[in-house]
Amino acid sequence: MKLKHLLWASALLSVSFACSESGEEKPLGKYDNGILIMNEGNFGTNDGEVFHLNPNTEELLPAIFEEENLRPFAGLLEDMVLEADRLYLVANTGKVEIVNPADFKSSGAVASDLDQPRSLAVNGNKLFISDYGPYDADYATPDSYIAVVNGLDGGVVKTKIPVSDKPQDLFSFGNYIFVAGSQEKKIEIIDASQEKVITTINLEASPQQFYEEDGILWVYATTADNVIFYTLNLNTLALADSYSVAITDATEKIAFDNNDEMYILTSSNYPDYNDAVVAVKFENGLGIAKEIMTGSGFYGIGHDDDRDEVYVANANGFQGNGTVTILSETGSVIRSFEVGRGPSGFLVY
Amino acid sequence: MLSLLFAFAFLTQAPLSQDTVKLTEVEVYAPAVDRYAQGQKVISWTKKELTVFQGKSLADLLQEQSPVFVRQYGAGMLASPSFRGTSAGHTAIFWNGLPINSPSLGQSDLSILPISAIDQISLQFGSAGALFGNEAIGGSVHLESKSSFGEGLKVGLSQQVGSFGMFNTHLSAGYSSTNLSSKTRVYREFSKNNFSYKDLGRFGTPEVKEDHAQFEQIGLVQDMAWNLTSRNQLKAAIWWNKTNREIQPVMGSNSLDQQEDQSVRAVLDYYHFGKNSIWNLKTGLVKDNQVFNKSLNQTRQYFFSGDWDQTFSDKWNTKLGIRYTLSKGKLSTYTADDSRVELYQSTTFHPNQKLELSLNLRQLIYAGIFAPFTPNLGMNWIFWKSSSQKVILKSSLGKGFKVPTLNDRFWEPGGNSQLLPEESVNGEIGILWSKSGKINWSNELTYYRMNVDNWIIWLPKGSFWSPTNIKKVNNQGIEYQGNLSGTLSSWSWSMNASYTYSKATTQKGIDENDQSVGKQLPYTPQQQANAKIQVTKSAFSGFVSTYYVGQRSVTADNPRMMPSYQLFNLGAGYDKLSIGKLQIPVTFQINNLFNTDYQVLYLRAMPGISYQFNLTILL
Repeated sequence: MKLKHLLWASALLSVSFACSESGEEKPLGKYDNGILIMNEGNFGTNDGEVFHLNPNTEELLPAIFEEENLRPFAGLLEDMVLEADRLYLVANTGKVEIVNPADFKSSGAVASDLDQPRSLAVNGNKLFISDYGPYDADYATPDSYIAVVNGLDGGVVKTKIPVSDKPQDLFSFGNYIFVAGSQEKKIEIIDASQEKVITTINLEASPQQFYEEDGILWVYATTADNVIFYTLNLNTLALADSYSVAITDATEKIAFDNNDEMYILTSSNYPDYNDAVVAVKFENGLGIAKEIMTGSGFYGIGHDDDRDEVYVANANGFQGNGTVTILSETGSVIRSFEVGRGPSGFLVY
Repeated sequence: MLSLLFAFAFLTQAPLSQDTVKLTEVEVYAPAVDRYAQGQKVISWTKKELTVFQGKSLADLLQEQSPVFVRQYGAGMLASPSFRGTSAGHTAIFWNGLPINSPSLGQSDLSILPISAIDQISLQFGSAGALFGNEAIGGSVHLESKSSFGEGLKVGLSQQVGSFGMFNTHLSAGYSSTNLSSKTRVYREFSKNNFSYKDLGRFGTPEVKEDHAQFEQIGLVQDMAWNLTSRNQLKAAIWWNKTNREIQPVMGSNSLDQQEDQSVRAVLDYYHFGKNSIWNLKTGLVKDNQVFNKSLNQTRQYFFSGDWDQTFSDKWNTKLGIRYTLSKGKLSTYTADDSRVELYQSTTFHPNQKLELSLNLRQLIYAGIFAPFTPNLGMNWIFWKSSSQKVILKSSLGKGFKVPTLNDRFWEPGGNSQLLPEESVNGEIGILWSKSGKINWSNELTYYRMNVDNWIIWLPKGSFWSPTNIKKVNNQGIEYQGNLSGTLSSWSWSMNASYTYSKATTQKGIDENDQSVGKQLPYTPQQQANAKIQVTKSAFSGFVSTYYVGQRSVTADNPRMMPSYQLFNLGAGYDKLSIGKLQIPVTFQINNLFNTDYQVLYLRAMPGISYQFNLTILL
């Protein structure tokens, strides 16, 4: 049993959540507007689910995957990616479920030949899925890969492109897929046609997430004492600038707003286990960090641009359902409510 | 009770003066589980009653025939007991008097305790820390080997074949004279477990075959006993068991985990039967190796104990004892030792023929820390009796405790050396009404109430998990047990039924956000029931049995409830087939008769209808 705890702990270290990178697609239908709350679920129980919140009416629709498909999601929900008019639900238990974002009806899946998928990107008519690969005898993952699937509605894995250990977020641009290689501090760039890595960029920090704004690709990366925001030149595929901000114990959880501001979860671990939400604002190229909430059990973060609100998820020890607290951008608590098990991220559209 | 005890002592001496040509069957001595358990609920299965469970595990027996809920992670997969709404670590499990729970996990996997290696099973319900020590919070399980002197040669071969690739072979051979008894059992139990189920985790919920739940178990049990002199007996038992399993993934996962569990358990007892007393010196070893995907976890436990059981008069019995335990753990993330000393005493007082009172006390010390002192008071009172009927009132009040496991204290990272032992208080009252005659029956109704404090829970702390003493739980419930038997013409028949209502609620949660307070504990059904009807005529026997498990929640705050289910089993046998001196009993069983689709735990597929045929050759 405690072995599972160890595995879970390592999973906690590496959980990621990607926003919709393009930000262009808009779903239509019952779940047309609002906020999707990703509930990862509990290790060994596979009770991950998606809740839908209407922020105007505060109406919360629980477990909408099961509600619409009359079967449980049956997986640990790692990431939600809205691309190509489809919502890809990536389960790190070895599958990707594809639903219509408007009504959440299942339209396909990638159900075999995956190990521990983390995120997904669409390029042309192909899906690229980052996967830690299988554990070896020491619970290391030396065979991480990017799985390629032909067709946007799922199917079989056509090929696996070897990449550095523990790939996290993916970003698709032109004919390229950018891979955040968190463990070995690399960004690997894949040629989507050739389906192979063509360039590797070494970093000082662990890349966690990509974020594109105004034609600039930002890379959020962490070290023990700092977070570093790199920018990438999408024409030359080379690093441009980097901005370091002194934030200790930053996790991979980050939410961006559109005003050069972002919100990062930090966790001090042993012995105090203090978690915090740190707001970072860039002024004249200088990042200023400020704690706006402290507590314990923080497990996900999101930002609602329309209402300038910050969403903080608390897993409540995975003993039951988690809680979401809505904050103002200065950290005042607006309200809290119960969601599903292990809430870990938000998709605001 | 007094006479029973000395019947053993007397009988062990009696054959010695006889001509050894004509053997007299005498059981090898073993102290009775309920000797000092007055007022407590104890149910037992004899070897004969266990025959129908040959080829199954302790998990199956407990789930189908007792009020215990068994949390099964799939067919042949991890199965842990929940007595009276307590957790898996709140059950002490003994084999021939040795506690065999893993010191690192503080529990046992019931699915790898095969019935074929055991001759007698008793369950004791409620906190009995004083009688049985560490982990006897919800109850305790006692597995015994039973051997006899004076049986001569006995050889048996049993072969089972069944659905999903089941292929079980059991071989036993024993010889006993008046002074020496030896019995050897060898077994191999195998199942592909390739049953069909509806995969809820896949697009379109297709019907698929389980392809990663193969189970293979081999083992050897050697029991020996010697009458050294008319007053001295030596008894030894060794049990080696090795299980290789493909771990059945939860629906929606495609994990391919493998697990190998290998255990060696050995016990040596020396009994001296004095005048009105029995001395027992016991030493034992429990060695567990578990390899999970090549990650090795090893534990060793060494036991040394001695006790003295004295009858002072026909009113007073007392037992005094001491036990030393050394546990050594070499786990994948830490190495740790733990030594324990415990002192215990039990006393019964019989002021008259109708009343039995008991007082049990125990103090355990581990790593220099005193575990909670555990007293227990019990009473059996026959308050009405006629020539054929009697009504017994039973009552007990006691405490239980659980020392934090090695993992709780030393796991890296997260182990918490500051943990306190879990502590429980249990009270129960029961009434037993029995009648003998043409129709025999007994009805037992028990009400219990229990509080468990300092309940240990592993919680995520930053990037890893760590245990804390945080939860407080209240359990209460009603248990009914009824038996009815008789004869009709040349048929004998019996009916057994039990019903349990268990309310186990969280009183104190992990923090202010905890929604579990006042709600039923996860995977703890409020209602459970089972029943069995059995008929026998001459060589033919048949049974139909059923068990019902009520709704249970997946998590402590109860948002998702698992549906209740009821399963039926059917069996028939004929035991008068013979060829020359060989007897060849045959049996046939159908499990899950109505092919019910069910899950014990969320998204853990379970098999539908299955068949098994059993052929035994006895010499």
